[in-house]
Amino acid sequence: MFYRLSGTYHTSYEADRKLWKIPTDRWLVVAVLLLALLAPLYVSPLYLGSYVLPWVIWSAAALSLTLLMGLAGQLHFGFAAVMAIGAYASIHLVRFGVPFELALLLSGLIAAVIGAVFGGAALRVKGLYLVMATLAMQYLVDWVVVNVPAISGGAHATLRTPAVSFLFMPVESLAARYWLALGWAVLLTVFFMNVKRTSFGRALVAIRDKDFAAAVIGVDPFKTKLMAFFTSSFMGGVTGAILAFCFYRAVTPEQFGFNVSIQLVAMVLVGGLGSVIGSWLGAGFVLLAPIFLTNLVSGLAAAGWVPVSQNFLSHLPLMIYGAMIIGFLLLEPLGLAKIYDNIRKYFLVWPFRHARS
Amino acid sequence: MTFLRKLALTTALVAGLSAPVAAEDIKFGLLQDFTAVYTFVTGQYNQGQQDYLALANAEGILGEGNSVTAIVRDTGNQPQRGIEAYNRAKEEGAVLFDFLSTPVSAAILDQAQADKNVVITPAHGRGDASDGTVFPYVFPMMPTYWAQAANLIEHMKNNGGLQGKKIAIVHIDSPFGREPGPILQALSEQEGFEFQAFPYASPGNEQSAAWSEVRRYRPDYVLIWGAGGGQAVSVKTAIQNGIRPEQIHSVIWLAETDAANVGPAMKGVKRFEATAAGTDHAIIQRIQEKVIDAGKGSGDQANVGTSYYNLGVATMAVAVEAARLGLEGGQPLTGDTLKAGFEKIAGYDAEGLMPAVTYTAEDHQGGGAGRVSEWDGEKWVPVSDWHAAYPDLIRQVIEKSAAEYKAGH
Repeated sequence: MFYRLSGTYHTSYEADRKLWKIPTDRWLVVAVLLLALLAPLYVSPLYLGSYVLPWVIWSAAALSLTLLMGLAGQLHFGFAAVMAIGAYASIHLVRFGVPFELALLLSGLIAAVIGAVFGGAALRVKGLYLVMATLAMQYLVDWVVVNVPAISGGAHATLRTPAVSFLFMPVESLAARYWLALGWAVLLTVFFMNVKRTSFGRALVAIRDKDFAAAVIGVDPFKTKLMAFFTSSFMGGVTGAILAFCFYRAVTPEQFGFNVSIQLVAMVLVGGLGSVIGSWLGAGFVLLAPIFLTNLVSGLAAAGWVPVSQNFLSHLPLMIYGAMIIGFLLLEPLGLAKIYDNIRKYFLVWPFRHARS
Repeated sequence: MTFLRKLALTTALVAGLSAPVAAEDIKFGLLQDFTAVYTFVTGQYNQGQQDYLALANAEGILGEGNSVTAIVRDTGNQPQRGIEAYNRAKEEGAVLFDFLSTPVSAAILDQAQADKNVVITPAHGRGDASDGTVFPYVFPMMPTYWAQAANLIEHMKNNGGLQGKKIAIVHIDSPFGREPGPILQALSEQEGFEFQAFPYASPGNEQSAAWSEVRRYRPDYVLIWGAGGGQAVSVKTAIQNGIRPEQIHSVIWLAETDAANVGPAMKGVKRFEATAAGTDHAIIQRIQEKVIDAGKGSGDQANVGTSYYNLGVATMAVAVEAARLGLEGGQPLTGDTLKAGFEKIAGYDAEGLMPAVTYTAEDHQGGGAGRVSEWDGEKWVPVSDWHAAYPDLIRQVIEKSAAEYKAGH
């Protein structure tokens, strides 16, 4: 009823290859995009600057990572380091006089090259061993940033982003910073949805499912794995630069620590591996749930409902948050994306029960 | 007395002339890390802060009808959560912020300056924020890490001398651990000692490698520069490597909990302190009487009088004093009037809990005075008087670094 059809039936190859096979889905996406574009007009600066903006940027980061982990099946536990390379590269390039637009691309390239070098480990090792190799990347990059003052920015290791403009739009006001970040996230989203339909995307999936089987059918694992690391690191690097210029505006090494890498992995897993909507939902959940819970618990405490010490009060949101993650994963191991899909399928044929997708 | 009477009269006159100000509820945003990296200090520190604010309200320090409320939130040491907490508290009307987290402070510094909100960074954050001409709304309030290093070095100079001696600085491998570097460099030339740095990897649960190097270096004095659990490990590993406790001098982050973790071997270890420890102080006594005994305490009673608890009390004592002075003009309290209030503080020592501090438009560190205390097996005993060591050198370093920040770094 809501989707105005009783299942998906295609009568031509074109219809089957469409991005949105059901018109309602397309209209839904257009509506969400419009709402997102107009957000600066109706969302208060508090919510735009501290909720929506970081959510958009972290979604872009989760999309970058899920290309590698979800599509290509290569685990990466040092993705924050990739973003750090992008962030520091972009700042130093802009300071050096490179125009911001070009600096974004170059920082992505630098992150991609370094990321692909570490990705080289993936040619020999898989699974947990690859986790260790990427962890090494995290710590190496951290160490270099902290120990080379020329990178980290001297005694206090804080680098402020210079004032820049993107295509004649000064990246200064909250709305401008939000639009730039949104533009990048939308670009990544569109790219990700389409990459699944290209031969490159199919090669990634083949590698994920069994790399020697992929080699047998003619997919070069060497090239494909390196390309996966390269592409994903490029996206991550630019996202890191966007994070620096649009959100933090002052970069410190702690912003890209190991815990951020773990958060990114959590976003991808909680959202659903290799899923676009999952990256958005996962990033929103991991990033915003602790904030909402902290405010909720503090509000309840202020009203006298939770008579416990400050210390326990601060840990309470973490306990609820942990329970929520376990709950979601028990309920639906395929992540938030699958939960969304279940809801969608339910309404697809409502009031009837069964849908073929 | 006449001065006081005059002051009271003038205040009354000024207050009478200006329009009567409605009773104000002043809000302080204590948006700190209770759950991640700074847990070793935040619990006790924040408890001290909240208890002092309760005392200030009970005693009506801010004047008739005015009160002060703390907005307390956990940021988990994550900059993006700090930004959210800051923006929210700003909307709720907070005029003063304390993040007690270097990354969160760093992420908010520029925004808070633009919003003209006061940020206090006692014992954390950028040392060069002491230059009030470059950072008008940031108040480090207490001795920076540079001043702490200088104070400890001066203590070595006065107790054994420095000429031809060797100092090992064993530090956590982070920007914080590197802070004393420039001071040691400058002082080694001036005082004729040599030093060597021995970094260990964060978080410092395992430091054997660094300390066996230290043992080979045969230092006369050892500076330990870390925080949290790593500090107790430093002291233990140092003693295992034949360093005597008396040789060990620590940054401000060494407290009762660390002493309990190290055990009896800790006796003789020295540390820098910016506030006195223990319950034997007028303010702490009154907190005990009017807040804790009245059942309004914000945490475990056993924490009252610990080093970090008293540190928290001192920060809020200064902040409330600044708010009181800021309100004197009769205007409502904003970032600007609060800043002006801070800069009116002269010779305030929180009734002996801390050295007398004076803030000016240039100096937001408040002079940088502190002292060295020694663990006697049960408590911290001061072994030097409150004083600022090498103030000119510290000021030079502050101004140099602040100038670099101003130039865009």
